[in-house]
Amino acid sequence: MSHAPRKSFRQSMAWLHTWSGLVVGWVLFAIFVTGTASYYRTEISHWMRPELSAPTADPATAATRAAAFLGRTMPDALAWSVKLPTAEHPTAEVYWWNNPAGPYHHALLDPATGEPSHARDTKGGDFLYRFHFELSLPPVWGRWIVGICAMILLVSLISGIVTHRRIFADFFTFRRDKSAQRGWLDAHNVVGVLALPFHLMIVYTGLVELGPLLMPWGVKAAYQDDILAYYAETGIMAAGRKPAGQPGTLMPLGEIVARATAAHGEVPEVVMVTGPGDAAASVTAFFEEPPGLAHLHPQIVYAGDTGAELSRTGDVAAATRTGAVMTGLHEAHFAAAPLRVLFFICGVMGAATIASGLVLWTVARAPKGADPAGFGLRLVRILNLGTIAGLPTGLAAYFLANRLLPLDLVGRADWEVRGFFAGWMLAALAALLYPKARAWPAALGVAALAFLAIPLVDALTINETRFLGFDAAMLAVAMLLALGARLASRPRRQMRAAQPNRSRAVEA
Amino acid sequence: MSARPMPGLTDRLSVAGRVVLAAFGGYGVAALSTALFALALPLPRSEAVSTGTLASFAIMAGAVVWVFSARTLRRAALVLGVIAALLAAGLWLAGAFSPMVVP
Amino acid sequence: MTVPAVVLSICLSFSSFAALALSLDRHHRAVFRVPAPRNRTRGLRVAGWCGLAVAFAASVACSGWNFGPVQWIGGLTGAALLVVAVMSYRPAWLRAAAVAALPLAMLALPFALGS
Repeated sequence: MSHAPRKSFRQSMAWLHTWSGLVVGWVLFAIFVTGTASYYRTEISHWMRPELSAPTADPATAATRAAAFLGRTMPDALAWSVKLPTAEHPTAEVYWWNNPAGPYHHALLDPATGEPSHARDTKGGDFLYRFHFELSLPPVWGRWIVGICAMILLVSLISGIVTHRRIFADFFTFRRDKSAQRGWLDAHNVVGVLALPFHLMIVYTGLVELGPLLMPWGVKAAYQDDILAYYAETGIMAAGRKPAGQPGTLMPLGEIVARATAAHGEVPEVVMVTGPGDAAASVTAFFEEPPGLAHLHPQIVYAGDTGAELSRTGDVAAATRTGAVMTGLHEAHFAAAPLRVLFFICGVMGAATIASGLVLWTVARAPKGADPAGFGLRLVRILNLGTIAGLPTGLAAYFLANRLLPLDLVGRADWEVRGFFAGWMLAALAALLYPKARAWPAALGVAALAFLAIPLVDALTINETRFLGFDAAMLAVAMLLALGARLASRPRRQMRAAQPNRSRAVEA
Repeated sequence: MSARPMPGLTDRLSVAGRVVLAAFGGYGVAALSTALFALALPLPRSEAVSTGTLASFAIMAGAVVWVFSARTLRRAALVLGVIAALLAAGLWLAGAFSPMVVP
Repeated sequence: MTVPAVVLSICLSFSSFAALALSLDRHHRAVFRVPAPRNRTRGLRVAGWCGLAVAFAASVACSGWNFGPVQWIGGLTGAALLVVAVMSYRPAWLRAAAVAALPLAMLALPFALGS
């Protein structure tokens, strides 16, 4: 039997909040930072492929050329996918695979020639986007880890709300002139509460998006695990047709693109060819989500040999539509520029909530003045420093690598990614070596310098005015980090509480 | 709260027990609910599955909060166990465990 | 979701949140050095909550029922953050800023509705 006095509901939620937050805080910080950056994934990809400008051919021509490339490369693939060029994505982005478990081969093609694009080999903003939900691990592992972290985050949010006693009275409170513990708690509460609707929305919608992986039990029970049947019945996907087992020929893909454009009134975003070498090949045209919150892509399926229409997506009913709206809210494709800025700010506040929580954890448990005793506390401090200051440094290293690595380097895209991890790890290791009192200012200062280098290197290497916006944003990040470094280097005010006061740490 | 004695082994085991119960029991209850909703809700099949999946994460979060706020670990396990058993019974009645007859 | 619509929403929310903040004793004292008298507190609270409702209505009027609520909530976060920032670093500016936000909102209104 426990000897400690029985805890109240609030106290047990305070305990839960503190420990659940700590356990996943570092991974969640990375998820939030890369996710928030992904709001500008297209802009990042643009900046990282400076050789590209306008598309060099219309979508139908691009489709035919791309199909020719794919036909030479893997004519008997399970499926091909062609993302048609637009002003935003001036290349034809193709995938091809012969196994649903992968590997998924990928190339960027020049729309006019169907040959691999001359743009530098890079993953662009897509690396950060994928990292956000896969952590650069094998997809199923990565998504499960992210999913578990998200489930724990949901619990942290709920327990945090219960714990925060004065959520309305302290809504605007930020006391910078009291103890460090008070200041960090206030900061944590302010960024946490002010963006609370966003935080709750983003974690729940993220879980729903991973739903088929994390909670497949509905599909298993009602559809005997046939998830394609579920998607077809909901109207999320249009039904295709079974392979014939005989070889067949495809009609020119551009023809089908033209038919789809005429049928739907706009050019498809992506064209997917299922069983391209088969007589019963089908071509699915995916269109951009119609205006609205729901993340639903209308589809028309055509027969690959004749171009006859086989099926279309129809209406989607309430529960499925709710799920689609949730996905839409998470990805925020609908958001025009000003709203996207607000989402970005909320994402930064989410990352700040996690970071301030992690720091608060050490501040609240460190005895006044004395060197932190336990191994546990030192470990948390080191992980905090390595993640909160290290990850931004890695991000800057990724962008710098894009500008500095030789263009003809083999496997250049992978080297850029190695640059990201190397930058992160080196920054984290260096943080171990700084004297304790200077560790935070030094680590943040290094990150600030790394970001400052980006516009400088860009001006020296590429120097195009259309990248001024991105470079200005990097400068702004550098200044924020520098400000953080300065704040961290201010001499600590006299702490008031002599004892580490565990209960007060979380009960506002 | 003033300084209290370091938690003993019993306390640590109790906390560990709650963590394990919350993780597996919470997920288990959510999974069973999702399956039961998919089979038992008076909606078209696809809608029932969608509803179940959407609700599942809230159910799991609720179960976790319950496990950590229950007075004792034993009570938490008991309540969660009863709920899981009821859900499983519901699933059995809905035919989830009988072998499928292929038409 | 256009720039004028977001500006309108944030300005209205900023003034409303400033009013609500000033209705709390601690913040009133930080800005005016005296605690708020009871009737002023009530007046500020009413004005604040009404202002938030007006911001909601404006968001929906400008951006529809789909995007309006999302824009309103995003604007609430931005506006509240600004209030906290002003109150933490330049509390004396809060009243002026809250008042100045209103004509700015009026200026944005025709552009926000027109688009």
